Amino acid sequence: MRASVNRPPTPDVGDTQEKQPTLEEIINIKFIESGEKERLMELLRERLIECGWKDEMKALCRAFVKKKGRNNVTVDDLVHLITPKGRASIPDSIKAELLQRIRTFLVSAAL
Amino acid sequence: MIFLVSQRHTGLAILLLSLMSGFNEDNKASHAQLSSQFFGDLLDSIIVDVASECHRIARLGLDRNLEEEEEELRLSAQARVRVADPSNSGESNSKYVVDIFGQTHPPVANEIFDCMNCGRSIMAGRFAPHLEKCMGKGRKARLKVTRSSTAVQNRYSQGSPVSTYSPYSNSTNTSRLSNGTSGVAGEEYSNGTFQEP
Repeated sequence: MRASVNRPPTPDVGDTQEKQPTLEEIINIKFIESGEKERLMELLRERLIECGWKDEMKALCRAFVKKKGRNNVTVDDLVHLITPKGRASIPDSIKAELLQRIRTFLVSAAL
Repeated sequence: MIFLVSQRHTGLAILLLSLMSGFNEDNKASHAQLSSQFFGDLLDSIIVDVASECHRIARLGLDRNLEEEEEELRLSAQARVRVADPSNSGESNSKYVVDIFGQTHPPVANEIFDCMNCGRSIMAGRFAPHLEKCMGKGRKARLKVTRSSTAVQNRYSQGSPVSTYSPYSNSTNTSRLSNGTSGVAGEEYSNGTFQEP
């Protein structure tokens, strides 16, 4: 399960002519085109597995599934369950490392 | 640097140029904010992936095995604690040591069977010492000569007090030699007709 589910919607021909891409979108494109986004994703995934964050999240999911029943659980339920705890329980060292790399890339891309 | 030249991006090019014009403080702040935002996006993607994976495991019922594994992990952690616990010292409980299946074993094995050499009923825990006496290490064993082994011993007896090829020579060997007796202690082919002093 490595492919990310999130994907920006395919732009229609009519839309892009009126709307200007935001800075955020430009950055996103740069990250993706250079391959840095993929590298950062893999790095973050690896770090989160190493420190046991992923196992904690999986344990949360399992507890929830046990309570609610195997066949009554949706992906949405699990996402809403994990997101607040997941964001809060990121170790500071990992966050710092990733932010450092992102900032370096932004600077090197002269953004 | 990507220079976007098409018409729809001119406004954007201006924006980029203004960013590049060196408002350092603003740059740092916006960098920090952009970085955090981007990090948040990465994290969200990973969270969705983890949720999707857990959902799949739940719906396919693959978590049955996981529960058994957890149980095993917990039991082994408990056992490790019990083993490391100094209050369960081996000396005080040596008679009633409990193994991982909860069974206790007596310190001396007490199953009884027949010795294949002499045919007597022997207790398993006493089998090794019995074999020593029965098969020839001990003093008395060399007197127990059976019909078949007599011929073998006569054939191999050298009559020499020292045999350098003895596979069973031990310390009692030298002490016997110093006493002036011939024969090599513990050797299977020692001549049984020599009388002990």
